[in-house]
Amino acid sequence: MFCFSKSIDKRNLVYGVYDDEHKLLSTVEAVREKGFEIFDCFTPFPVHHLDTAMGIKRSKLSIAAFISGATGFGLGLLLQFYMMVFDWPMNIGGKPTSYRMLPSMIPVVFESTILCTAFGLALLFFIRNKMGHGVNPDILNIRQTDDRLLIAFDSDKLNKFNSEELNILLKENGAIEINKFSGKYANKN
Amino acid sequence: MSVIDSVIRQPLVHGDKNYHDITTDICRPLENKPTKLWWIGFVLSFLFFILLVVTLTYTTWVGIGVWNLNKTVMWGWDITNFVFWIGIGHAGTLISAILLLFRQKWRMSINRSAEAMTIFAVICAAMFPFFHMGRIWVGIYWVFPIPNAFGSLWVNFNSPLLWDVFAISTYFSVSLIFWYLGLIPDIATVRDRAKSKMRKYWYNFFSMGWTGSVRTWARYEIVSLILAGISTPLVLSVHSVVSMDFATSIVPGWHTTIFPPYFVAGAIFSGFGMVLTLLLIARKVLNYQEYITVGHLEAMSKILLLTGTLVGLAYITEFFIAWYSGVEYEQYAFLNRAFGPYWWAYWTMMSCNLIAPQVFWFKWARTTPWFLFMVSILVNVGMWFERFVIIVTSLHRDYLTSSWAMYSPSWVEIGIFLGTFGLFFTCFFLFCKFLPIINMSEVKSILKNKE
Repeated sequence: MFCFSKSIDKRNLVYGVYDDEHKLLSTVEAVREKGFEIFDCFTPFPVHHLDTAMGIKRSKLSIAAFISGATGFGLGLLLQFYMMVFDWPMNIGGKPTSYRMLPSMIPVVFESTILCTAFGLALLFFIRNKMGHGVNPDILNIRQTDDRLLIAFDSDKLNKFNSEELNILLKENGAIEINKFSGKYANKN
Repeated sequence: MSVIDSVIRQPLVHGDKNYHDITTDICRPLENKPTKLWWIGFVLSFLFFILLVVTLTYTTWVGIGVWNLNKTVMWGWDITNFVFWIGIGHAGTLISAILLLFRQKWRMSINRSAEAMTIFAVICAAMFPFFHMGRIWVGIYWVFPIPNAFGSLWVNFNSPLLWDVFAISTYFSVSLIFWYLGLIPDIATVRDRAKSKMRKYWYNFFSMGWTGSVRTWARYEIVSLILAGISTPLVLSVHSVVSMDFATSIVPGWHTTIFPPYFVAGAIFSGFGMVLTLLLIARKVLNYQEYITVGHLEAMSKILLLTGTLVGLAYITEFFIAWYSGVEYEQYAFLNRAFGPYWWAYWTMMSCNLIAPQVFWFKWARTTPWFLFMVSILVNVGMWFERFVIIVTSLHRDYLTSSWAMYSPSWVEIGIFLGTFGLFFTCFFLFCKFLPIINMSEVKSILKNKE
């Protein structure tokens, strides 16, 4: 569907595995308090407040939705004005074909607004996430889409001293296991 | 979790499940060989689908003269079936959009299948007006604003029939996007469990590289909320526009201002009727009683009671207004509906839509699956008759006594109607086999509701 010039980096990650969203949330808070930089979290289901706990800013997709909706609104009006008023006005049943037909333009304008909002939003959502048909996912743990929640750190940014500290922090907050991942990882987000 | 669930309420998922149980339970029908029951159902619906292909080919080949429409009753079973199917297609988006905005968490185990049902029902619906145009190869120019060689004659934007084209195609596309977006995380789950190469390839293809990253989820939540926000007026607009096909005309019985809300209530009613019919079978056959619990059934039957009563109120209001308006033609149209040659259709409609749902005042009726199933069938039947009553009984005797006529369908019309059930169920059986019919990721998110 889309073509991306993916910047594929080799990454060394260390990640903690959880089985409960509340344990993951408390880990995120504890880890951020100590000043660690979280690479990303992976969850099989949406965990509310996890994004704010990680300090992720609210996405601007809602603005994009408004813009695509406004585009649809304009296109719908333009389409009808061009065809019914400008290009070839048709008198059918004596109904108006000038600007006075504005009320009967409303349904089509409404539908085209919604259509463009939905399509624009979905398209931008896929582009922003670098998603597309056939894009290979970078799965750290095969159960991250099933029942395991992961918190990943870039191990190149950790030294020996604070990686010990991190391990203890993760264990304290209920990590089932701590694993390492190194290999190709498409730089997303 | 910002909602504190009451201790006296039943949990939304029964049977003390953990996250992994949900995955295995819901992926089971996808990963195992199809059961005997599935094959029987699929083959049967496919036979009816073939009937649809045959009857539609025959209609296109010979012309719509093979239908029993006449000059007086120029809309018959075709438009009845169109409105019937489009009405059924309203429950899916209602459940996933409006109930999302109202934060009704019980929607989560039924929204996926209801949305799928919406899409299949809209496909069935859209076929009828399309084939009713007769010469479908020219018809394209009558419904879509495509540049053409007829002196560049454009479509008529003053006509509610054209608004309908826009409303339905938008509704179909937006529902499809909504459904597919919701499916992506679950397709990723199936992908990561896949064993064979074929499955890995296709589920990977459709999961679009989903990993469950928190940033993606955060955007995903925003997108679903906005889509729900725009789908809510959309779902209300679609059946309002369908009702304007009738309400903007001057036919007695059609020329009514309460049509839009009345049609929307009817659409929700018939949609929930069909959702109940399908889910009552699916939860039994696929053994999903712990996900689609009696609590879900009860909630849906309460909506049936509400919308059924609303529809009934609209029937009575119409009658009242016909009398109160003092217009003889209106008065005759309604008396003719109830006591004319099509009285049986009118009273079937009344008893199935207004009287039958009143049993849901009793808790026993709301919580007994076999009884609910019977009432849901009655609702489907009643809503089909509602459209038949509105369309045929209004047309067959209007202003000019000399052109009064009767109408009954030909075998081709009956074949097309039965055939659409074939198409609908063929799609639904394939959906049950290849996609998870319950939204796993959403159900997982409501499993542990604690503050």
